[in-house]
Amino acid sequence: MSAIPDTVQYRCPLADGSVLTLTATRRPRLNRAEVKCSVPGDARLAERMQQVLRLARLTEAGFDTRDQVVLSLDRCPPEGERGWELAAVLADRGVRGLLRLPPGLLANGWSDAWERGRVAGHTLTTAPGGEILLGGAGGLPHLGLLSGHADPGAAVSTARAWFPLYSGEAGGMAWVEVSVHPLAQAPGAEPQEEEQTIAAPGHDAARQLAVRQVLCGARHFDGRALGRWRTAVRFGGGEFAGRSWELALVMADRLARGREFVPRGRLIASGASSAWHAGRIDAVEGIEAKCALLLCEAGPGDRILLPRAWQEGLPAGFAEQLRMQGASLACVERIGII
Amino acid sequence: MMLGFFKRAAPAVDACELGRSVVALAVPAGAAPPAGCQAVVVGTDGRTRRLQAARKIEAREGETAYAFHPGPYTADLQPFEAAPEIGLRTSFAVDAPDPQASQQRFDLYLAAEVAGRLELAAQVAAIEAALRHELATGGLDLPPCTTLDEWNAFRQGLNQLLYMRFGITVDDCVPVDLGETRDFAQVLAARAAAPAEAIVSAAPAAQPTANAPGERFDPAAADAKALRRLFLELPCLMCGLRLAAMPAEPAQFQRQQALLQRLDLVSVGVNAMPALALAAPNQPLPAMEQSRRARHSRRACVSLDEAWALLARLRQAGEAALPQLYGEAERIVANLEADCAGRRSVSADEEAA
Repeated sequence: MSAIPDTVQYRCPLADGSVLTLTATRRPRLNRAEVKCSVPGDARLAERMQQVLRLARLTEAGFDTRDQVVLSLDRCPPEGERGWELAAVLADRGVRGLLRLPPGLLANGWSDAWERGRVAGHTLTTAPGGEILLGGAGGLPHLGLLSGHADPGAAVSTARAWFPLYSGEAGGMAWVEVSVHPLAQAPGAEPQEEEQTIAAPGHDAARQLAVRQVLCGARHFDGRALGRWRTAVRFGGGEFAGRSWELALVMADRLARGREFVPRGRLIASGASSAWHAGRIDAVEGIEAKCALLLCEAGPGDRILLPRAWQEGLPAGFAEQLRMQGASLACVERIGII
Repeated sequence: MMLGFFKRAAPAVDACELGRSVVALAVPAGAAPPAGCQAVVVGTDGRTRRLQAARKIEAREGETAYAFHPGPYTADLQPFEAAPEIGLRTSFAVDAPDPQASQQRFDLYLAAEVAGRLELAAQVAAIEAALRHELATGGLDLPPCTTLDEWNAFRQGLNQLLYMRFGITVDDCVPVDLGETRDFAQVLAARAAAPAEAIVSAAPAAQPTANAPGERFDPAAADAKALRRLFLELPCLMCGLRLAAMPAEPAQFQRQQALLQRLDLVSVGVNAMPALALAAPNQPLPAMEQSRRARHSRRACVSLDEAWALLARLRQAGEAALPQLYGEAERIVANLEADCAGRRSVSADEEAA
């Protein structure tokens, strides 16, 4: 099990083009305040930062008063700049091991509702290059989405599931995000085709068609899903080919529609099917590469779903190793309970 | 003597809901326990005794007598807030008294947490909250596409949790599709149609915290309730921790002893807790500080719930799992100590630095 770091450092690009560095450290609390913040030359901003962190902590499940987190900015940000808030909240969680994020992460976002985990938006005016985590719609609208969970107060239910990539040099985790909103149906109108209510903006016709067919099939199997939802599907995390994203898409859809048990961490799935309408899961390719990748990526609370056909071919000690890392594995034949 | 013989029994209370929508009900002394019900007498000091097969409830001055119906009751639990259409149809009952225990857990639950009347809806909400908290913190696991082994482990954990926390036993628990009664699409549509203010109330009830003022509650009532729970339950928790496991390994045994000692100190501190409204004798405490103190005592009750859940895990854990569980116990005890110290302190500045 990987030890929790004592120090994390995240960065926050600002609207004026400069980059702010946030450093969070963790130490025994010894009757001090649970969060301490410091900003060079601005005590009021430090106070505001402490308030942000305390509010954001309300959305956590448990609490531990043995640790003190000390968070500092490397310089005072410009007047009125609030983009550092998201990076501060993430650093506070990262240093306590609640989130596993890449070191040196770039993040920008602000919110007026940290106590509900919402992220309202970001302060960047120009589109930045490279990997950056932006708050707000289109990026990260809710802190829970970092582990794929839906915002419990939002009118659009959005959930994510991850799937491992192995093709080419671009191995890594990609995610699929499903957002559902109730379908408003005019009384007396002809019921819409399910395929017409599902959209995957920004993808070519073949991918659109594949997404629609998979979701229609899986919803047919579900029994209580057809004709109720307007759906948007988004992919992220890299280019990919093949069909092993199908299971992740189906599970994200079930999570978003509130019809599946929710994992504590991320849901990571690899699998396809030629008969989603029967709920069956078929094998996909790349077992060795994907298992190696899963061992690197799996963290506490993650749930990994693989096709039943892989059960015999898994590397020795794979499930035990995952359990040591806090993740759980199931090789499943069909979706649904047991 | 003759007069006593002819005296009429005390009037019956509205006991007909017992066993249906009410689990337990305070009944006046002298009444006969309703049919099918058992009686528990709770003293002012929180001591309880069960009246076995009594024809008339005998209670002394100041004691409260409860009649409860052992059930079984059936309810649909929703284990995840984000998944309203999948649930657990659970039927549970108040257990027959365990002859080995000096005090039944359900009696303690009545004494510590129930005031006058325990509705079935309130009981189910409490069960659901305990279940959700355990699932969120990882004490129980109910992942998507649950396998049979995982389901069995979950069922055992649930049985233990509800027995340790409420003194009730789970007769049956099956996953069900709640789509017929709960429509998630309608919930979402209502959220979209509602003004922003209503969405606030739909958001999850935030875990009580010590340092984020803002929400409204009655400090005096909340504090008294929380302190009563701490006062009554901490000794039973220590007893449970002692009985739950006897570590063979010296290091673990020492950890257990250290935990017991710290809990003992917390318990002593709770028994000598200063009054909520006084900073010092004859010195009133400002209202802000009073609600800060009450928030601390309320958060200490969260730790209390976690401790019961941990005890349930300890009872079914083997020696190999002890180090991890004692680590968890150390966190809970540290939280209890911190909140009791916060409840004792006169101002927030004392703790901050």
